[in-house]
Amino acid sequence: MNNFDQIKNALQRIRHLNDLPDEIQQRIAASATLRHFDTGQIIYVEGEPAESIYILEAGWVKATRMTREGREQAMMFLRPVEMFGDIAVFTGTTYPGTVVALEAVDVWIIPAKTILDLIPRYPTFAAAVIRHLGERVLHYISLVEDLSLRSVEARLANTLLRNAELHEGQLIVPRHEWTTFDEMAVRLGTVRDVLGRALKTLEAEGLLRVQKQAIILLDPKGLEERGSL
Amino acid sequence: MMMSETTPNPDEQLRTRIIQALMLDERTAALDLRVGALNGIAHLAGTVASLDVRDAAQELAECVRGVRGVVNRIEAPGAPSPSRNIRLLFPPVQEDNDMENK
Repeated sequence: MNNFDQIKNALQRIRHLNDLPDEIQQRIAASATLRHFDTGQIIYVEGEPAESIYILEAGWVKATRMTREGREQAMMFLRPVEMFGDIAVFTGTTYPGTVVALEAVDVWIIPAKTILDLIPRYPTFAAAVIRHLGERVLHYISLVEDLSLRSVEARLANTLLRNAELHEGQLIVPRHEWTTFDEMAVRLGTVRDVLGRALKTLEAEGLLRVQKQAIILLDPKGLEERGSL
Repeated sequence: MMMSETTPNPDEQLRTRIIQALMLDERTAALDLRVGALNGIAHLAGTVASLDVRDAAQELAECVRGVRGVVNRIEAPGAPSPSRNIRLLFPPVQEDNDMENK
């Protein structure tokens, strides 16, 4: 598969960007470069000028932001295929978070100028970008609501339900290598000890069971109720 | 309030000073490091050959006026990975440009 076919394939798997005219895809492909990152490598750091937009082709990444108090807060976990780094490019600011490869990752890097030049010329592309950004706004509204209004147990219940997979008749959340307790704590905006207590509480209530390879959701309905508290 | 394009915000100025400090030191001048600054916290990334150089980059950033802390994510043999710990040099202040960076 050549560069054009590869990035076209990636664009077609991104919600809202999957029906862009060939000409736009061609322009994006012409300027895009594919780069590999190993586990733990930094794709960009917060406070760095936003010079590129990224399309995640393979592997998981996380976006975090350091609080004023020096605590890492997860903003987003992304899996392929997804676009990131766009908010800072469109607002002309620095990247608001740091993006780290959680496993072996392939990323398309597209110069910001390519995207910014396309927007005024192609209203269909602009509309697609607006829809994508709108979804990001909704994500952050949800994150603010979670962090400010919900308990750690409720956040944990919601996060587990959002990431659950049906496996041999059981609803489970697989424990990827990078899904350590520390990572989960960052994701939930808390610390490891509090997360450990929350897991124990939910386990004691019969809502879930923590295993080495997975967290088994024994009572999804009960977890949903806990998530709304 | 939107930050004017002609007025560099404090973090941009801080980032420039950190880059200058790294460029002026012979241990870090030739390195290709990524540098960010947000809310007075410096963020460093990239790859270097030794822990000593990694530590040197952090020390240089910490010495820059206005830096409240350094998140050192520079890769080096034997370095913690991923490093997310930060030692704040000064406590957080309320009056800054946080909203404008979101």
